[in-house]
Amino acid sequence: MKSYGALAGRYLKQQRRRTILTIVGIILSVALISALATMGQSMKDNMVEQTIYQDGAYHIGFGPATPEQYEKLSGNVLLDEVGAFRQGKLTEIRNTFQVQLIEATKTSFDLLPIHLQEGRLPQTPDEAVVEEWVLPNLAEQPKLGGTVELVKPNGDKHTYKIVGILKNQKYSHSEGKSKGYTFMADPGAKSDATLMAMATFKKGVDISQHLPEFQEMDKSAFFTNTRLLALKGESADKSLNTALLVIFGILIALVVLSTIAVIYNAFHIAVLERMRHFGLLRTIGATPSQIRKLVFREAGVLAAIGIPIGLVVGYGALWLVLWGMTSAGFRILSLDEFHLQLHAWIMIGSVVVGLLAVFLAAWLPARKASRVSPVDAVKGAGSIVRETYKRVRIPSLLNMMGVEGNMASKNIRRNRSKFRITAFSIVVSVMLFIVFHYFTQESLRMTVDNSEDSQVAFQIRQSLNRYDDNGNPIKMDLKDALSEDTIAQIEGMTGVKAVYRRYMMPNPAVILPSEKVDPNFTKLMGPIFEPRDYEGVPSQLVYTNLMLFDDARFKEAEKYLIAGTADPKKLAEDNAVLIVQNVKTMVKSKKKKIEMPIARLKVGDTLNLLMDYEFDPKVVRQVKVGGILSQSPFSPTLQENTLAAFGAKPTFVKLLKDVHPTFAPYGTTLMGVDVAVQDGASDEPIRQALKTIVAQMPNTQLIDIAQEQKESRQFNLQMQIFVYGFLIVIGLIGSLNIINTVQTNLLLRRRELGLLQAVGMTMGQLRRMASLEGVWFGVIGSFWGLLLGTGLSYLLYLQLNGMQGMPFRFPWLGAVISCGFALAVGLLSVQGPLRRMKKENLIEELREEV
Amino acid sequence: MNVIEAAGLTKSYGKDTTLVEALKNVSFSIPQGEFVAIVGASGSGKSTLLHLLGGLDRPSGGTVRIDGEDLYALKEKERAVFRRRKIGFIFQSYNLIPVLNVEENIMLPLLLDHRQPDKEYIRDLIDTLGLDQRRKHLPSELSGGQQQRVAIGRALAYRPAIVLADEPTGNLDSANGREVLELLKLAVKQFHQTVVVISHDMNVAAEADRVIRMQDGKLLSDTRGGIVQ
Repeated sequence: MKSYGALAGRYLKQQRRRTILTIVGIILSVALISALATMGQSMKDNMVEQTIYQDGAYHIGFGPATPEQYEKLSGNVLLDEVGAFRQGKLTEIRNTFQVQLIEATKTSFDLLPIHLQEGRLPQTPDEAVVEEWVLPNLAEQPKLGGTVELVKPNGDKHTYKIVGILKNQKYSHSEGKSKGYTFMADPGAKSDATLMAMATFKKGVDISQHLPEFQEMDKSAFFTNTRLLALKGESADKSLNTALLVIFGILIALVVLSTIAVIYNAFHIAVLERMRHFGLLRTIGATPSQIRKLVFREAGVLAAIGIPIGLVVGYGALWLVLWGMTSAGFRILSLDEFHLQLHAWIMIGSVVVGLLAVFLAAWLPARKASRVSPVDAVKGAGSIVRETYKRVRIPSLLNMMGVEGNMASKNIRRNRSKFRITAFSIVVSVMLFIVFHYFTQESLRMTVDNSEDSQVAFQIRQSLNRYDDNGNPIKMDLKDALSEDTIAQIEGMTGVKAVYRRYMMPNPAVILPSEKVDPNFTKLMGPIFEPRDYEGVPSQLVYTNLMLFDDARFKEAEKYLIAGTADPKKLAEDNAVLIVQNVKTMVKSKKKKIEMPIARLKVGDTLNLLMDYEFDPKVVRQVKVGGILSQSPFSPTLQENTLAAFGAKPTFVKLLKDVHPTFAPYGTTLMGVDVAVQDGASDEPIRQALKTIVAQMPNTQLIDIAQEQKESRQFNLQMQIFVYGFLIVIGLIGSLNIINTVQTNLLLRRRELGLLQAVGMTMGQLRRMASLEGVWFGVIGSFWGLLLGTGLSYLLYLQLNGMQGMPFRFPWLGAVISCGFALAVGLLSVQGPLRRMKKENLIEELREEV
Repeated sequence: MNVIEAAGLTKSYGKDTTLVEALKNVSFSIPQGEFVAIVGASGSGKSTLLHLLGGLDRPSGGTVRIDGEDLYALKEKERAVFRRRKIGFIFQSYNLIPVLNVEENIMLPLLLDHRQPDKEYIRDLIDTLGLDQRRKHLPSELSGGQQQRVAIGRALAYRPAIVLADEPTGNLDSANGREVLELLKLAVKQFHQTVVVISHDMNVAAEADRVIRMQDGKLLSDTRGGIVQ
């Protein structure tokens, strides 16, 4: 031993169990902090990537732009990449599909959201790329390398070589309009089509500061990539970044707080146990600062071991999860490639935060150790800590549990500071879990599409708009797109989860008595509905989205039923519909979307539907409210400012009887089906089978969104894996904290418990007493944890609400899980020390510590 | 020359009705190289007196001078350093640091002072204490007598001016007790140290150069070589 400081190491080695527990606490916390920050940063990076994927990488643009403006942009020192393109004219294909060919400069290919599936991008004005789905529909039916005749932006026809194939885009396919790109060599060349110019800023340029000067160039033509700039914190509105900062700030602060609690507990108890030793050191001349240093040295050793491991574990665990997902064929967050980036600021930040937490936690115990009176240490040869017992007048519930309960209650209250420490750590654990649970569930809700549409991989649709060669619409026979037999055949395929029938959606208005319109909605949105006096009752015409549900859709609706019934037979019998009266509306005054009810309808209310108020304003049909859903099972789950109503076919037949054909031209004709695929099922056999079916039916087409569907499902699953991974780690930290405190609380009183045994307390009674103490700490901790956790959740909610309006949902589930857990851990953690105590010799326990 | 000078020492605990006066205006002085025993019944104030002499506690009134230095005029930190260098303590319950071995426990006061121990002196000390075979043993591996010898070693490690011992033989059998006393007397002789011992044990008093008797917080008698001073 070279110096007295080596004592620190000796103590840590001697108290191996507590040292390991504390180090595990530090590791978990640092891991969580670094993983949380990395994940937050990655999510932001990915949102940027995603936005670039969807909207393109450009920052600003002018449309229309003059060739001079383009030149000016190209010469600007602030700008990095400058590109230009011309929106092309449409090439009609058999009057059903269209291709829009866009001429773009080489840089534009980088700035626009263009995603190659195979091949390459055009390099000459004779080359082109188009979306995959359109290839077989083109007259030439070209493959990669083939040629096709398309309309040039100036209106002339031109033959292009297909050098690349673009990925299908959902809406372009269902709308029947493919984008295509060709190469533009000279943006200055004269052309009929208008030029668009785009640019990115150089790295390091303060974009928001320079935006106005570019806007000045041509105010009306100027546009920005708003979402991308907002994500980069460069838009005028920085609220998103502030909100993200506050949210992650609160979460990290909570983790830090719990780390401090874990380490503080460990240190405090370790110090309490060694009060005599510290006193002894004082008698032989150790100064208070030397004692403090000793405790800090211990903290330093723990931090030096725990923090690096924590960093490795945090990063490693994230990497492992992502690697596991990638190996399992996942695409992380729907991106082609996902790189987990090591951000230096996160690493350094985690180390600093970890160190601060450890030293902050060691501060009070160190001070306490240094203030120990040497006389007390040498005087009280036996007891480790001198306690002052405080008489408490308020009776405790525990007193009803017999003598053990009585003892337990006295034990809990005997020492205020020890009581506070133990309760504090449980409170922090419960609070931590509730807040994290709340946050993760809400962010899942915000990011994950939970509608049943997310399972839909294929759609079969009737083509309705058919024109002859002169451009006149062809009169179509009205008949169901698929026969019941075909639907049954599809339903029977392996891997098919459900087949949902699709009908046209009439948009009537409900003549809703004004008192039934939610006053809050009116207050926020203003009088947006047309007032109407109906049968002497002042009413409003509320937009209504009426949808025909088949049995499969009703079955999904059951999950969201909050009142009434979703049984199609009963609804049809009662001439009733299901309604969704919650909406999510953009409220201008608050600059965000807010979730709220639009009406105050109850089951049994009658809806007066004004079926066609343009052509036949007298036709009013009645239906009843048969059931109320919290949201629609299908997307959009919530409407903007429209009441949603779902009825069965018999109800629809009655509703549409004798209404003007312009209102519901297709009546209850089946327009197509959506095919939902089970999770994990292979979609290739289904695709082939559906292709065969569709090939036999004229006027129908198969829309293949399996790839996109799979990616969005994967995204949902990934989000859940991350979320639950985090929750498990949080639960671990919390449990560790509770175990640590409750156990040491007991171990510190070993002698006393031995004494109780000596005077005749049986082991069973001892166990009962200790268990009651553990549970009671759980109860008290849960109570305060619940209170504070809910409060903090509300604070988080305010931030989340600022980004996207939603109602505050009380964190029931998190509360139940965490409180149950706290009680169980409190109860279970006393069993270990008790068992050990049982094995030990009574006399040994009674003997003084050396 | 007097190494210890106590003047008008009082110490009281509590307030009003619960006021306990543990020491009442105690004054005496001890010259260098003297072996003094303080004896008295339980509660006579002898332990309090020892704690005040060692600078562990604070007196309610009066002063203590060690080697001419007013102990309670020093700041907390200065007093700790002073204690480390000038005063050696021995307790009834040994009070060794359980995680340190014999040698380390003995060297601890030097290490606290960031000083490299004089290896030869420490070895001599350990040999004198009869612990040379136990150098690397932990306190839990030693007998009571051996532990107390380690405590004596620790008290002597810094060659302090005075050694204060609180019932050093209280937990020991008579053979071990005598051995400890011999060692303390040896210290007085060999290193010219001043030793103050508190004890119930009349054998201790019999070995001392001077015996101070206490009762109810006051000095009852002060005898040197059997002569009441």
